[in-house]
Amino acid sequence: MRDLFTEIWESIRRNKMRTCLTGFAVSWGIFMLIVLLGAGNGLMNAFMVGGEDIATNTMQIGGGRTSKPYDGLKEGRRIRLDDRDVELTGGELFSDHVDQVISTVSTSVTVNYGKKHFSGLMEGNFPARQEMEKIEVRYGRFINEKDIRDSRKVVVLSENQVENLLGGGTRDTGARFATLSFGSESGRKTDVASLLGEYVRIGTFSYRVVGITKSDRMSDDNLFFAPYTTVKTIYGKGQEIDDITFTFHGLDSEAENEAFEEQYRAAVNLRHRAAPDDNRAIWIWNRFTQNLQMNKGRNILSTALWIIGLFTLLGGIVGVSNIMLITVKERTHEFGIRKAIGASPWSIMKLILAESVTITAFFGYVGMLLGMIACLVLDKTVGQSTMSVMDEQIAMLVDPGVDLGVALGATVVLIVAGTLAGIFPARRASRVRPIEALRAE
Amino acid sequence: MLIELKDVNKTYNNGQPLHVLKGIDLSIDRGEFVSIMGASGSGKSTLLNILGILDNYDTGEYYIDGRLIKGLSERQAADYRNRLIGFIFQSFNLIGFKTAVENVELPLFYQGVGRAKRHQMAMEYLDRLGLAAWAKHYPNEMSGGQKQRVAIARALITQPKIILADEPTGALDSKTSEEVMQLLSQLNREEGVTIIVVTHESGVANCTDKIVHIKDGVIGEIEDNREHRASQFGVNTIMK
Repeated sequence: MRDLFTEIWESIRRNKMRTCLTGFAVSWGIFMLIVLLGAGNGLMNAFMVGGEDIATNTMQIGGGRTSKPYDGLKEGRRIRLDDRDVELTGGELFSDHVDQVISTVSTSVTVNYGKKHFSGLMEGNFPARQEMEKIEVRYGRFINEKDIRDSRKVVVLSENQVENLLGGGTRDTGARFATLSFGSESGRKTDVASLLGEYVRIGTFSYRVVGITKSDRMSDDNLFFAPYTTVKTIYGKGQEIDDITFTFHGLDSEAENEAFEEQYRAAVNLRHRAAPDDNRAIWIWNRFTQNLQMNKGRNILSTALWIIGLFTLLGGIVGVSNIMLITVKERTHEFGIRKAIGASPWSIMKLILAESVTITAFFGYVGMLLGMIACLVLDKTVGQSTMSVMDEQIAMLVDPGVDLGVALGATVVLIVAGTLAGIFPARRASRVRPIEALRAE
Repeated sequence: MLIELKDVNKTYNNGQPLHVLKGIDLSIDRGEFVSIMGASGSGKSTLLNILGILDNYDTGEYYIDGRLIKGLSERQAADYRNRLIGFIFQSFNLIGFKTAVENVELPLFYQGVGRAKRHQMAMEYLDRLGLAAWAKHYPNEMSGGQKQRVAIARALITQPKIILADEPTGALDSKTSEEVMQLLSQLNREEGVTIIVVTHESGVANCTDKIVHIKDGVIGEIEDNREHRASQFGVNTIMK
């Protein structure tokens, strides 16, 4: 092995300049591959922020408008979900798949504390919601069973909402990201936890703040939570509810999910006298299939980036192959001598292949390293900026970079590429006839 | 017999078929010092290629030490060249980016001999040829005579059955030529190495014990030259 590398080193040392120029093409290819994949990952991460925490086996149902006439009723009729839909969902019919069903009611309110206030959406909710949505409570607690039973007047606010109430003056929610883009709690000017146990005024009643949730970039910061029963009682919602969320099991493929959705939709639609196949009468958000599609999209993007990267690398490989051919041509006489004194064809082939792999791998790793540095730079620059899409601030890139798997994959690619680049010149070298040795230089 | 050729024929097919060797019969015994002489185009180079297992022949039989050399795979041929034959070339054919000792080591490398062992052996052989001090020098730092002695060390290191020298003095001045030929005959006399020299110079041929004349692809006269009187330019001289 050491002998082999000595030989390779001798050969490369004699052609530093052209080896470096060729190597540059390989470095560039791998650099592009890593940067593309890293930026692609950052882009996907930006879409997925917050999303990855949510339990994926949930569906959310909301009322819509009918799009077809049915049962003597015209289209365009508004469908409102009510308690009996909850019963239907949790009942016999779907017990094979549905686990836990909760419903929410919500109402727009203004929350006052001292002279400060903000307007938001108060959502009457159940304790189970926390688990389903993976809501992170920073201080205090979430709604509990006792709150529900006693219809207590308690609320769970988000960090940003609390901050608005404590510090930054009257703010409408649109400005909330001004604080957010400066980062984590260390940047918060106010002691958020101090509002815990205090009372805020909503409408004519006082509510006790029992919990403060973490604000993240994706969740709707208008929203805060109160016990389901409280909201329902105070705002007189009667039977009506806003949406139903349930967890399910045993639906593992897209087809299974679709079949279930169809069945479920038909059942709920019929209860509301809408056509069973009217898919606008109620809305179904299936997180599981959404997630599947997201992953599919992610895979397509990453495959596309790999292909682009590999094609860029191909240029480098052709370069290496070319330079190895020239090397072989230059060394024909030498290979003839080696063969005359007993070198087997394989030993000559090995020499060229190993040189090709060494050049590709070395310069490839340089490119990989530079690519990873570029990803870090991206993270520090573009990764920190946000852009405004439809009044929402969205980070452009989150954690761009590649994982170990990609680095290992790229290593395999490099070795395969080096072998491919070397195989043609190596075969040519191994076919040099020993008679070449007798030819005078 | 160490070397036996029986009715060896070789035709080159480059456009016009060219019958180069027309039934060569030749026997060379162990310990002989033979030269093969002929003008250019006589077929002596082709004969050398066949003797050195560098090229194939069409019909006939070629034995080295009773082993038939015919239809070998490339790997096998390489192995036979490595173990049976030591080459000395006209243009030395040392590898330019390797030092003298590395050049001498190379045949042992292809035998799979370990680094330390082959280095030690190579130094031994260089020492015997009076070149120990030049071991770390590259070929372009040495004179022609020194280079040829390195090449001889490289040919000897595998202790081959035959030394094949192709115009060993072709690139040397007359004084160095004489030294090289003396070295070869000394190796032959003192160590019983079988040496075949291919040359077109009668002075070189005169240093050997037997001269095989080849002309137009057939063996002509085989001269017994133990008296070394074949050269018209006198005994023990090589005329350039």
